[in-house]
Amino acid sequence: MKNWNFSRWAGLSIAALVTVAAGLLWFAVAARVEGGEGATSSSGLLLGLWSVLYNTQAPSQSAMFAAIALALLLAAGIAIIERRIATRYRRSSDGTSTPLAPKIIMAATRGVFAGPITITVLIPAHNEEASLPDTLDSLFSQSPPPDRVIVVADNCTDGTERVAAARGVEVFRSVGNAHKKAGALNQALAVLLPDQGDNDVVMIMDADTQLDGGFLAAAASRFASDRALMAVGGLFYGEPGHGLIGQFQRNEYIRYSRELKRRRGRVFVLTGTASLFRAVGLRAVASGRGTSLPGIRGDVYDTAALTEDNELTIALKSLGGLITSPSECTVVTELMPTWRTLWNQRLRWQRGALENLGAYGVKPQTVRYWAQQLGIGYGVIALFGYLSLLLVMALSLDTWVWFPFWLGIGAVFTLERVVTVWKGGWRARLLAVLLIPELCFDMFLNCVYVKGILDSAIGRRATWTHLQHEARAEEEEEVAR
Amino acid sequence: MRSALPTGVLLPESVLQSEWFAVWATFVAINTLMYAALSIAKILPKIYPSDWVHKRNRRAETRGIYPDPGS
Repeated sequence: MKNWNFSRWAGLSIAALVTVAAGLLWFAVAARVEGGEGATSSSGLLLGLWSVLYNTQAPSQSAMFAAIALALLLAAGIAIIERRIATRYRRSSDGTSTPLAPKIIMAATRGVFAGPITITVLIPAHNEEASLPDTLDSLFSQSPPPDRVIVVADNCTDGTERVAAARGVEVFRSVGNAHKKAGALNQALAVLLPDQGDNDVVMIMDADTQLDGGFLAAAASRFASDRALMAVGGLFYGEPGHGLIGQFQRNEYIRYSRELKRRRGRVFVLTGTASLFRAVGLRAVASGRGTSLPGIRGDVYDTAALTEDNELTIALKSLGGLITSPSECTVVTELMPTWRTLWNQRLRWQRGALENLGAYGVKPQTVRYWAQQLGIGYGVIALFGYLSLLLVMALSLDTWVWFPFWLGIGAVFTLERVVTVWKGGWRARLLAVLLIPELCFDMFLNCVYVKGILDSAIGRRATWTHLQHEARAEEEEEVAR
Repeated sequence: MRSALPTGVLLPESVLQSEWFAVWATFVAINTLMYAALSIAKILPKIYPSDWVHKRNRRAETRGIYPDPGS
């Protein structure tokens, strides 16, 4: 599998494109800026500084309006392109390249009642005896509960299988699996999928995830009202705790959920923490691998992918499948407790994203993802430029100078930060309104982004770090009884 | 200890008068404005032109898993 080869170029081309864009802007500005004025007294300097940012060297009114218009045009352009592409796939009747397109599926299932929606849950678990009980609790407290729960025990050396058996759920043990979660799931799905009908749904969820009430009911109702719906992705938000670093992550997830709600459920990634798939969709992916999709034929998940949930999402979209992330399907997920673990997690996500883009290339279904990467990349340059400018000013000035115009712009940013995180409560809003801490967090994420591009460019082997959970004493006691 | 010339903590204030600084400041200014515009767009509700177009709500057939009677 040469996936990492392409991700090298994916990362580098994104870096090159955003650098060129920034460079174009820089040279456009340089062409219009006249020479600076000579040094004057400090009061003159204050006024001189003011005029630097406003007058001759400042962006002219027309430049300002051009900047605003450009930004809005780019954003609108991406949205329109994405909408057009989605519509084209929704109307596709080409059964070869888009076997999961709504028209094809509707025609194949018309007039036949294939039974009610049934949900079979697969929980891949590698040494998850500590988190599994809570996860199973949340599953069985759903109304209606799932029809079948299978814990996919993958190379477990702890009491995972024991805990699962004690709760009365089935256990599938992976055999000779060297491909971690994806490999274990492929083995389980190979056994499960052949018997599944058109209205049988497979749910894949992590062992450290808790579903909110109404999750399964909402998902089942979505599948029941649309025969062509291939997948429902959960909307995840962060667990409580972990102090400041936890709040940073929670804020991120809150903003992500808000964005998905604004997109009316048009989903970016079907999260591995909790998503449901129609069996026919997974089967189509498995048979498409090796030809129209990367990977090995027969595998549902591409075992070479670092972020298998992201890859599966793109695979389903490539085949024309309809997917959604409804706001009623919310799920709590674990957060990274330390900066090191957060770094590792985000680096894996970034590398995985680049890999997937490299594997699929620039296709209609991946345009949005490329655009996102370009946006983040340019944001790295913009934020770095902004912070280093502030640093140079701070080191060059005797006293700090406040500019009302830029304070006003700062207020716009603060407003956006607070509004987008509103649902998170006072802690979330407090962190948002302070602006600076989240700016630092953004810088941290930007460093991960750059590292991801660099690592994929030099082809460094990616590591998969697993968050170990400590077993709770009471649970051990109870199971041992 | 203050010198006769106004100097900042580390760099002379003449840095702020130089042309490259002016270009840099303008570059940052334009980027900041772009992101401010995007921030406002994020606060405002999203527009869906399809909402304005009058839709015929009657479907030719059902989309759900229960077939239409008589089909």
